[in-house]
Amino acid sequence: MPSPLSVRSLRLVVRTFSELCITVGTLIVLFVAYVLLWTGVKAADAADDGIATLNSRWARQPAAPSAGAPSAPSASPSPYRDGKPFATMRIPRFGSGWEWPVLENTEARTLQKGLGHYSGTARPGESGNFAVAGHRRTYGDPFKDFPKLRPGDAVIVNDGTTWFTYRIAKEPYRTVPTDTAVVDPVPRRSGFEGPGRYLTLTTCEPEWGSSHRLIAWAHLDATRPVSEGKPPDLTG
Amino acid sequence: MYGWIWRHLPGNAWVRSVIALLLVLAVVYALFQYVFPWAEPLLPFGDVTVDGASAGGAGAGQ
Repeated sequence: MPSPLSVRSLRLVVRTFSELCITVGTLIVLFVAYVLLWTGVKAADAADDGIATLNSRWARQPAAPSAGAPSAPSASPSPYRDGKPFATMRIPRFGSGWEWPVLENTEARTLQKGLGHYSGTARPGESGNFAVAGHRRTYGDPFKDFPKLRPGDAVIVNDGTTWFTYRIAKEPYRTVPTDTAVVDPVPRRSGFEGPGRYLTLTTCEPEWGSSHRLIAWAHLDATRPVSEGKPPDLTG
Repeated sequence: MYGWIWRHLPGNAWVRSVIALLLVLAVVYALFQYVFPWAEPLLPFGDVTVDGASAGGAGAGQ
């Protein structure tokens, strides 16, 4: 028969251990809820904000036919501001409501608010490669359906003055994270030969991992001034 | 642990319950506002760019 004191201390140890286990379990559940749900809420909020910012900015300045930012005081178009939205992207394959802002640079903070434009790559519609990265999972899952992209799918970018309709050239291509040649002006392995007006989308592969990347390439198919209304791919 | 906190809260059972609930909410708020945003980039879901040695990209904050 053990003494009452040792029974009490044993109970204390067992109880404290159980409480710690429950606490850790609760923490894990909360963290999963944060990653799966709350990041999506935050990203949807930030994306709505970004699109609203763009719409009000575009409403203030008259639409100019050129592809560059018309308010630029200098001869060249004004540079995009880091971490700020400058265009919207729609991909009908991902659903009619799928619209995300495209922000400048691909830092983690930027990609939490929408899609990120690789700094230094071409602007929408420019000769070269307009390269954009996006989350496949978490933060709103913008590129969740990335593997469903097929040749001929439209990727429509609006920079406030022009609708740029790009066409996916081939099924998504899987590569390693260090393969930066996929965002070259003439992307390697894209099948494109010679300079052109290209678009590259990148996201992670596998869905919940980071060992590889999925790449989709497109080429500029049509442009349409915003004043003429939405392109046929969005209205049809 | 929780028993110790309960015993050190002031007031009767009702007051203690309210204070305990507020404490829980404060902890959850701090987790969602500060701890989880710090911890989340350590997961691989943000690695969506091609960027050479994962420097400066959307990686795990290297």
